[in-house]
Amino acid sequence: MQHKSSLFQKMLTYLALVLVALFVLFPIWEMAYLAFDGGIYGTPTSFRLFPIKPTLSIFADMWKQAGQNISFLLALRNSVIVSLGAALLSVILGASMAYAFARFRFPGRQAGLFGLLGGTLLPPVALMTPLFLLARTLNIQSTLLALTIVYTSFAMPFAVWNMRAAFQAVPKELEEAAFLDGAGNLKTFWYVDLPLALPAIGIAAIFAFLIGYSEFALGWMFVTRSSEVTLAMTLSNILIQGSKQWSMMAAISVLMSIPVVVVFIVLQRAFLQRMLLGNLKA
Amino acid sequence: MKNKYVRITILLLAILMVGVIAGGLRLRAIEQLPVDYDEDDYLKAAQQYAGLMRTGDWKGFTETNYRPEHPPLAKIIFGISILPLPEKPLIPDRPTTASPDQNLPQDQLYNARLVSGVLGMLESGLLAIVNPLAGLFLAVHSFTIKYSSQVMLEALPAFTSLVTILGYIQYKHKNHDPSKSRGINGWLVISAVFLGFTAASKYLYCVVGVAIIIDWLLITGKESWWRRALPQILLWSGIALVVFFLADPYLWPAPIVRLKESILFHASYATGAQEVQSAQFPIWQPLVWLAQSVPWNREVFILGIDLLISILGIVGFSRMWVKERVYGLWLGVAIFFLLIWPTKWPQYILILTVPVSYAAAEGFGRLVVEPVKSAWRNRKVKRERPHLSVRESILSAPWLLPGIITMGVLILFPLIYQLAMAMTDFSGLSIRDGIQGGIWREVWLGISGQVKAISPFSPEFGSSTTVNYAGPSLIKDIFSYGDGGAFLVFEVIWTVLSVGLQAIFGIGLALLLNRREVRWVNFWRTIFVLPWAIPEFVGALFWLRTFDPKVGWVAQAAGTAGGGGGAMMVSNLLHAGGPNLALLLLLIAATWIGFPFIMLAASASLKLIPYEVYDAAAIDGAAGWSMFKLITWPLLLPLVVPVLIIRAIFAFNQFYLFFVFAPIINYSGFGTFAYISYSVFRYDNSYSISAGINVITIVVLIFLLMLFNRWGKAGEGVTYAA
Repeated sequence: MQHKSSLFQKMLTYLALVLVALFVLFPIWEMAYLAFDGGIYGTPTSFRLFPIKPTLSIFADMWKQAGQNISFLLALRNSVIVSLGAALLSVILGASMAYAFARFRFPGRQAGLFGLLGGTLLPPVALMTPLFLLARTLNIQSTLLALTIVYTSFAMPFAVWNMRAAFQAVPKELEEAAFLDGAGNLKTFWYVDLPLALPAIGIAAIFAFLIGYSEFALGWMFVTRSSEVTLAMTLSNILIQGSKQWSMMAAISVLMSIPVVVVFIVLQRAFLQRMLLGNLKA
Repeated sequence: MKNKYVRITILLLAILMVGVIAGGLRLRAIEQLPVDYDEDDYLKAAQQYAGLMRTGDWKGFTETNYRPEHPPLAKIIFGISILPLPEKPLIPDRPTTASPDQNLPQDQLYNARLVSGVLGMLESGLLAIVNPLAGLFLAVHSFTIKYSSQVMLEALPAFTSLVTILGYIQYKHKNHDPSKSRGINGWLVISAVFLGFTAASKYLYCVVGVAIIIDWLLITGKESWWRRALPQILLWSGIALVVFFLADPYLWPAPIVRLKESILFHASYATGAQEVQSAQFPIWQPLVWLAQSVPWNREVFILGIDLLISILGIVGFSRMWVKERVYGLWLGVAIFFLLIWPTKWPQYILILTVPVSYAAAEGFGRLVVEPVKSAWRNRKVKRERPHLSVRESILSAPWLLPGIITMGVLILFPLIYQLAMAMTDFSGLSIRDGIQGGIWREVWLGISGQVKAISPFSPEFGSSTTVNYAGPSLIKDIFSYGDGGAFLVFEVIWTVLSVGLQAIFGIGLALLLNRREVRWVNFWRTIFVLPWAIPEFVGALFWLRTFDPKVGWVAQAAGTAGGGGGAMMVSNLLHAGGPNLALLLLLIAATWIGFPFIMLAASASLKLIPYEVYDAAAIDGAAGWSMFKLITWPLLLPLVVPVLIIRAIFAFNQFYLFFVFAPIINYSGFGTFAYISYSVFRYDNSYSISAGINVITIVVLIFLLMLFNRWGKAGEGVTYAA
């Protein structure tokens, strides 16, 4: 660290970095290669690092038909509707609760925080069965509404947890100043806290969006009509059918991952901080 | 003085009680268990020895050892036990793969089993002298009961190996400074003699000797161990060897050849025998045996708390280590051996049920006795309640309301519903009734005592079109179903190994990137962050393709390379499959998915360690490894542990990876609770069992969160400003 390292050490360091980079890139490159190679359509006969016949035709096919009777755009539209719905519901319905957790003391607050954290780390499977039965009872199965509600339940605890951190970061002095000027709680919230916390709330919303956007297996319990599947669900369908249309799978994977990867890399620090969950005590 | 007598009386009563319980449970098993594999063979060996003794053909002992892969001592003792009985025709030979012969002479079987039972009872009683609770745990441990109530070779060496270690411990305690003592005393001789008996009964049980030697070397210290301890160790092993030879008459005519034969047999049996291959147990199968009670003839054993004993054992291990290290070494050596040994029969775990029971007793003390004691002591201390203002509480209500309603409907209600479901036999058959309120009806009737709970093991369970109350026993017994023990162990192994690998990778990379000589740090970091940014299921798909045995790159690379070298090996492995490889593949994919998060967190934490600390250490002469060990690691650890706990929770709940890999990985017990719960729901329609698994997931989650909360406070005030 402080002292100078030898050439040998330097080489070892770089060797390790290159090896890990290869490990990371290897499967990614394989998928990209599949998506762009028109010569093999997923079933190569020999090992190649580069496409034999570079082509975009797989993407064109996929554009027309990403899943059974559904085009890429339609599936994307469904994804966006459902995920955006879940994100908005989580943020709008959770914001005031997050604010209360950040600013008020009330009985059961500690237990509530613990529960919130637990909800954040709950596997979605744990909520799936009752929600499935609920959807059946209410007869809203196979509507985008059902999916939106399910994804809201997956995303909301984390959204509330994040927004609470956002409100806590707003300096209390600003609020006190507003109180002195005669503003009530609601007014202070609306004019002081909310604008200041907005960027952080935005990140909470993006996160909630991504939870819905990248959920690909459980959704199938709530949807039966093939016109109402999301992009991620089309992928799991290809997988389950067993036909393994690798090229198609690769093309959809690549295309649907690009925006997520960009968002993650741009918002790296904020996301990391959110996912570390902070402490219970604050 | 009086107090002392009271204590001794209580101790004696406790030992007696353990003996009675152990004996009673074994007697029940002796009478009720059907004939098991191998019992016919060992009874036949006993018949042969009894015949030799009747005719006074003592020379015959040197030429007789039916199933010669195991030394004869236990078989000879079985022979003595049937001596008073009338002679019966020899049991016919059967291949080892054949199912056990149920038509054995009943009286002979009973006598031979009784020998095992008495030895088993003595084992529990002996352990009870050291620690009554440990003895009790051993007495009720169902696998121990089973194999010390049958004509198996386990009961004798299990008992003698316990005497071996107790003799050694007595010797150690008699010499307050063992590093100075020379020569040998009575206790040590007892220990050596019984080690010889152990070896002459079943080789496997000699792990106890390995543990003793390690402990011995550890106390005598590094520098002079060979001068001080070596003569004693040699003497001790020499006595053991002589006793072994004397107790194994079959060796007398041709010691080296016959010993070699019997030992080589095990090696070829482990890799060649058909029944070993077809069982296809994963390397961690011994842990699966430890995680469940005997799944066959359940009703014989009354109590099925083997899993509880194992869990308490994990909790109590460190205390046992402090109190009497040699038990811990015994457990460690035995587990190591069982893991690497390819044959995985359930009876092998008897080599370590003694230390497990001992650790469990310590664990019970730590988990139950001490908290109760301290609660009793602190009963008068009033807890200070945080000051709550009524005004603020009222003010907060409207703010909380929308969130409470939404989360109540979307999260709390489902969780309560799960709990209710897990107390019934709700399944695909009874779905109509269940949705129309059947679940609540049954749970209410059950809790209020109006209907009786049906057993989860009964044939009625889940086989009617109406929901039935099953009570809390379903959740309690969830790991007793089919592969329950297997998936519990898998879950633990999975969480520990995957987080461990991710931590090594992630922290290692963070340290590398933190080195001065590394340029373009951001470039490297951006590459390494990719797996984190890619949705988990997409990453899992990538790896599914890479590992595909036909078209994946790993297999393809082997193809074009002309099928030689390492690549070919990989390809063969992929085709051969097997649970061990499957776990490895899953771990590679999981490491890829998970390490970037730990790397980022560790990088952020490293930035928090001020440079001055390094400078100060450098002045004091620290460099390289010592710098890392003394400065970086201790400062980094408290910051990283909460991150590892979060990652452990994610690994514990990992779902998509298993969902994606399910088509190519199909072994019993493979999958996290989340995945098993899903597949039980989806493919078996056993809704209540799925719900029961979820309830357990939530309990574990709460435990991990409490851990996180405790460690999270250690890094309080730290903000991760990467």
